[in-house]
Amino acid sequence: MHIWRDLRGTVQPFWITLRNMLRKPVTVQYPEQKQQLSPRYRARLILSRDPDGNERCVACHLCSAACPVDCISMQAVEAEDGRRYAAWFRINFTRCIFCGLCTEACPTLAIQVTGDFELAGRDPLKLVYEKEDLLVDHCGHNSEYNFYRQAGIGVAAPRGTNSTESEPVDVKDLLP
Amino acid sequence: MPTLTIDNQKITVPEGKTVLEAAEELGIQVPHFCYHKELGAVGACRMCAVTVQEGSSKGLKMSCLIPAEDGMVVTTDDEQSTTFRDRVGEWLMLNHPHDCPVCDEGGECQLQEMTIASGHGVRRYAGQKRTYNNQDLGPFVAQEMNRCIQCYRCVRTYQDYCGGRDFGVMGSRNRVFFGRFQDGTLESDFSGNIVDVCPTGVLTDKTYRFKSRYWDLQEAPSVCPHCSLGCATIPGGRFHELQRVRSGENQLVNGFFICDRGRFGSGYVNHPERPRQARNNEQLIGMDEALRQLDVEARGLIEQHGPEAVLLLGSERTSLEANWLLQQWAKKLGCREPVLAAHGPRHQAAQVVAFDLSDRLASLEQVRGSDLVLVAGADPLAEAPMLAVALRQVVRSGGQVIVYDPRPVELPCEFDHQALSPLALLDFLTAGGSDGQHVRELLQHAESPILVGGADLLGVEGLQRLKKMSLELSNDQRPCLIYPLLSNPNSFGAALLSLPEQDDLLTRLETGRVKMLVCLESDPLLEAPESDRFSVALTKLDKLVVLDYLPTPLSVHANLFIPTRTPVESDGTFINNEGRLRSYAGVLEPGLPISVAEDGGHPPREFSTVSPGSDPLSASRILQILLKDDSSLVELHQQMVADFPRLAGLTGLTPSDAGVRVADAAARNVVNIDLPEQPVGTLQLIVSPARYGSDLLSRYSDKLEPRFSSAWVMMNSQDAAERGLQEGDKVILDTETGSFCLPMICHPQLAAGCALVENSAALASLVPGAGISYCEVSREVSHE
Repeated sequence: MHIWRDLRGTVQPFWITLRNMLRKPVTVQYPEQKQQLSPRYRARLILSRDPDGNERCVACHLCSAACPVDCISMQAVEAEDGRRYAAWFRINFTRCIFCGLCTEACPTLAIQVTGDFELAGRDPLKLVYEKEDLLVDHCGHNSEYNFYRQAGIGVAAPRGTNSTESEPVDVKDLLP
Repeated sequence: MPTLTIDNQKITVPEGKTVLEAAEELGIQVPHFCYHKELGAVGACRMCAVTVQEGSSKGLKMSCLIPAEDGMVVTTDDEQSTTFRDRVGEWLMLNHPHDCPVCDEGGECQLQEMTIASGHGVRRYAGQKRTYNNQDLGPFVAQEMNRCIQCYRCVRTYQDYCGGRDFGVMGSRNRVFFGRFQDGTLESDFSGNIVDVCPTGVLTDKTYRFKSRYWDLQEAPSVCPHCSLGCATIPGGRFHELQRVRSGENQLVNGFFICDRGRFGSGYVNHPERPRQARNNEQLIGMDEALRQLDVEARGLIEQHGPEAVLLLGSERTSLEANWLLQQWAKKLGCREPVLAAHGPRHQAAQVVAFDLSDRLASLEQVRGSDLVLVAGADPLAEAPMLAVALRQVVRSGGQVIVYDPRPVELPCEFDHQALSPLALLDFLTAGGSDGQHVRELLQHAESPILVGGADLLGVEGLQRLKKMSLELSNDQRPCLIYPLLSNPNSFGAALLSLPEQDDLLTRLETGRVKMLVCLESDPLLEAPESDRFSVALTKLDKLVVLDYLPTPLSVHANLFIPTRTPVESDGTFINNEGRLRSYAGVLEPGLPISVAEDGGHPPREFSTVSPGSDPLSASRILQILLKDDSSLVELHQQMVADFPRLAGLTGLTPSDAGVRVADAAARNVVNIDLPEQPVGTLQLIVSPARYGSDLLSRYSDKLEPRFSSAWVMMNSQDAAERGLQEGDKVILDTETGSFCLPMICHPQLAAGCALVENSAALASLVPGAGISYCEVSREVSHE
């Protein structure tokens, strides 16, 4: 009999509405009220610094290679002390899909995700972030890692003085 | 021909092939470092271990060292060999600094690939890493010794193959070091090759330092435009900037390596002053407007003044297609046939090569395989550097190289040098003297003799004598081939297309009947002798039109300037010195490189669909527009073949091909210029190209600046003493072109009665290949 089904279909929605009217609301009054996000939430990207206060990014291009939407571009240059860094670094947030693959690819923990998802605006160009917009003054999620103290090419410390290295060899030495 | 089984697949390989090569043919990748196709194997890295199950010696073997045997059974993926390779990968990584993010090799690193291939992933060793101090190896090569895995490829390339002496291996046990005895610029003219062969990031290109990652580069097979050999190169660019050139592989021409001029001489593409917009006198105009003006004015002048009024000048550095289209445009306009090269004598010599010698030309591969090479009137390191490396291979395999040249020629191998003046050299080629007889006898008994002749010094007369000599020395068993050296990448092509018995450029200009000169990628002020005469002739013109991609002096004088594309920005074909059609593909679209543009290399924040500086069109495209011809490159080639059947090889030719030889042709009797009588007390003037900065492309390349030489005049020590001159004196060099005040240097190996100068930016008005002329050297009179 269809009549029972039709009656139920008419009454049930009213019942559900009535029931929920008495419940505590789950919506938040954004923007006056902010939601507590997970620390692993993936939104706006930053470039962090190492514990010594230097830029972590070495412009290795791995993030731009990993990026599925090609929104990262950069140019590497060399500082006088041999440090490789980004002359310019650009993330186009109008294209970014916040997948976080760049942070997974980053070998120096430079590029990191933050919980700041408020990236809306009327001018798309304002969402093209340059290095000065991305670079922050802290270490981000990791407060210890310094790539140049692990890589043995003598930038952060003189050659052969990192904890895992021995002194440079004397190549003209013939001793056994 | 042994047949062996590798991983259950049967393959038959030629005698002498190793198991590694056989596996590669089957598509089985055995990890390896020290083995290189050109350098062979030394068994230093222990990476290519395989297990021989059946064969004369069974067990774990290095596949690069064991020759393939009939009935051999080899496995590459068994437990024993994979474990061994895993361990080797692990100990090769023991001392590695783990700095891939800041290493330029990252992405094209054989160590990265082979470590993954060998299966090693996690570091287990907890001990200390060995470290080295680096050396400064000059402007081209950067060194980071901590990344070294001791495969010896660099030394084998630099010392053994290319003959450099100042880079080697030193040290003992695990302190083995690859470098110079002390800091300093690498002296070899082939130093860049160690960058290509290094399987890790120890040796990287300093001029390309931190510029791009391999995967971001736009690359395409191309042909080196710096000399006439046409070596295979792979230019790479990004952000409209040509960032590096690495060597391509062409077994018939350069093999695996290229010279430093070709590798580091690419700066002309990004030259900050490169003209990128069309110009009518001072006013910048669009390309469409410029082409319209050119067409209208050329037709107007011909209607008004007849077919002589417009003169089209082709070039030896523009593509074959563009030169051919220029001829078609001349036909359409109804003007006289174009002159295809500004430098008359060089063009004539190239015609001798393209016609008279066309059936006797050797390839560079044949030179490498020869047992006796006679080099007459050529300085390989200056005119065709890769020939010098080829000559080294002759000596390495037990052959002999004999050089007859007035200059103090240097080669990276042992050779016999006789310093003969240009006139004496011509006599020598016609068997003059006992010396000539002796060399002829040697050549007669050689198995595969080759005569190398420099077209600049020998000229038409010398090349014809060289041909006669080669005919006399050939016999039924074997020919005696010729390997001529020309001046520009497409000298052969321009000569092949040219019509016989043309007036040269200056003769036609000086009649005064020419109202408009159209120079297609050619600057006679720099590329032809008698630039003074040309400057005067220019004043008789109503209109000078220049199409070029270089900021040449002539482009400044142009009434109408139209920018063209460089070879790396266009598709085209060159014919190299041995008549081989070599086609190249465009790598980049033209545009102002970000690094040259604004804001210290920062990309602009304004977005537009047109990138700045993208106006230039390739010379052939411009001519096609003028001809209202829309045919594709393939159709163009078909038309060219129909017009010139010698170019049959063009059909189906692709840039990755080794190239096809043009068909032989009947001899063309090029008019010989009478040798001028030598005035008493004068010296024979020899103008030689400088190793760097003589060809226009390298002159406009900033990366090569450290190699540019200053201007000087060189004399034989005896001649200098006769004139009371000492090394370092300022002297006046009086030539037909003009007087030059230059410092004098003495050299005992320079032929007596000669004065040698080098053509470079420092001495641009003396151009090589202008024929025999005389000069006087005297002390500068100081005015005090």
